[in-house]
Amino acid sequence: MFDLSSATTRRAKRGLRREWRLHALSIFSLSVAFVCLATSLLVVTNLQAVEKRWSHAGRASIYLKDDATSADVAQLKDALAKVPGVNGVRYVSSGQARETFGKDEDPQGSLAALPAEAFPASIEVDVASDVTDESLTEIVAKLQKLPAVDDVETYQSWTDKLARLVRGGVAASAVLAVIVLLSVLAVVGSTMRFALQRRRAEVEVLRLVGATDRFVKAPFIVEGSLQGAAGAVGALAILGAMFLLVHSRVDGELAALFGVQPSFLPWQFALGMVALGAILGAAAASLGLRRLVQV
Amino acid sequence: MPGEDDSRPFRPKLRAGARFGADAAQRPILMFEDVYKSYRPGAPVLRGMNLVIERGEFVFFTGASGAGKSTLLRLLYRAETVDEGRILFMGRDVARLTPDSIPFLRRNIGCVFQDFKLVDSWSVYENVAITLEVLGLPQRLIRARVGEALERVGLDGRGSDPAGVLSGGEQQRIAIARAIVGEPALLLADEPTGNLDPQLAIDILGLFEEIHESGTTVIFATHDRTLLEVRPRRVVVLDNGKAMDVRAGVATEDDDFDNELPV
Repeated sequence: MFDLSSATTRRAKRGLRREWRLHALSIFSLSVAFVCLATSLLVVTNLQAVEKRWSHAGRASIYLKDDATSADVAQLKDALAKVPGVNGVRYVSSGQARETFGKDEDPQGSLAALPAEAFPASIEVDVASDVTDESLTEIVAKLQKLPAVDDVETYQSWTDKLARLVRGGVAASAVLAVIVLLSVLAVVGSTMRFALQRRRAEVEVLRLVGATDRFVKAPFIVEGSLQGAAGAVGALAILGAMFLLVHSRVDGELAALFGVQPSFLPWQFALGMVALGAILGAAAASLGLRRLVQV
Repeated sequence: MPGEDDSRPFRPKLRAGARFGADAAQRPILMFEDVYKSYRPGAPVLRGMNLVIERGEFVFFTGASGAGKSTLLRLLYRAETVDEGRILFMGRDVARLTPDSIPFLRRNIGCVFQDFKLVDSWSVYENVAITLEVLGLPQRLIRARVGEALERVGLDGRGSDPAGVLSGGEQQRIAIARAIVGEPALLLADEPTGNLDPQLAIDILGLFEEIHESGTTVIFATHDRTLLEVRPRRVVVLDNGKAMDVRAGVATEDDDFDNELPV
């Protein structure tokens, strides 16, 4: 596409140095655009981690009917203990459930008047983390047929909701990526056209001494590419700073709530975004300079 | 045949004419054949102009303002295209070159203008070196050749000065150094002394003559009559869209165009 000879890099450096205010403004605009994309990617990657964690929640709650007898419970516990992947089985009576709720969620006792049916007896099952959703669903289907079982909660619905959220996040990221693409094209293209106007005399001289289109355009394309990459790096720096600020304050709460520590963008994503910025910047500069000053 | 295979790009060696065979060296460097050019319908600037310029000549183009001197030069380095006719430069029709070939044509032609056409923010060195950077020469060679060119135009040691702060005469010397550093076959000067005082103008003309003595063909467009009288040279007067050739210079008896020149 263009040569990266010393003359090109020297002219690009000279252009960046002489038009540094213009380039700084352009990089800032690109950073703002890239921050939106990076934020959405950060949310998606963390949601994916939560989804993965919850898809292997490792537990299920089997709610028993009110008329389930101790014999039913004992039989169910024995049967469950023999199922492959089940690590432990624990019976929680209606009274214990009320007590736990009162201790954890309602210390003031404002909901003490709730009827006994609000706290059904259950069997809490610890499932090995390598048991997949499909196998757990099969077990649940079998359990639900038993006469003493009222309902089975596997937290699959949470996983489904998270999966839908992730899909939504990915779609939002794709839309943001398109917006970023358009922003880069507009910002870098305009900057390069403006720079070209400001360096009209230089282009005229280059034409006179026999420079080819490629030679004339090359430094502008290098500048565009650097702008795009710098915009992406700037966005990562802004997002990284924001992440560090928020991370220390809400880390514990989020970990307790979702069972996953929030993490920053993986380095592959960050690198990919910088590369995307560089490529988009070069393409935008090239498109913006389709019509060069003619002499 | 001249003009045959005209779409081939110029790919010059640095030395003028090095790419061309012995027969090319025998041909005139420049031939205008029935050249027509107009910017407005019914008002042609050039109408059927014919002219031959041999290698190594020093030719003044002169004529009143608007006679077509600048147009003629712009046609030569393909900033404009002829409406009709041919301009053969080293046997090739300039008008038929593809856009991709134009840069290679320009590498064979050095241009100097009245308004210097320098990049003010660049240093003197950078303004001259760009001609060789375009050719992709190594920096070591560029440094040596730019040094030689600056020495030839009397700007030795001024390489690091910003071009914009130099005087008019010095800026024109930079432009001349830029034009000659690539050792072009042809040097075009379009009113190069137009912005200079008379003494500086004569100095600059002397510089062109020195360059000419080293074998470069020079076309010097001017309407300054005093310059034509400095030394007898071939003078081509542009009048009414045609070229009138006065081989012995204006200081001869054949002076019928003289009244049309501004004094």
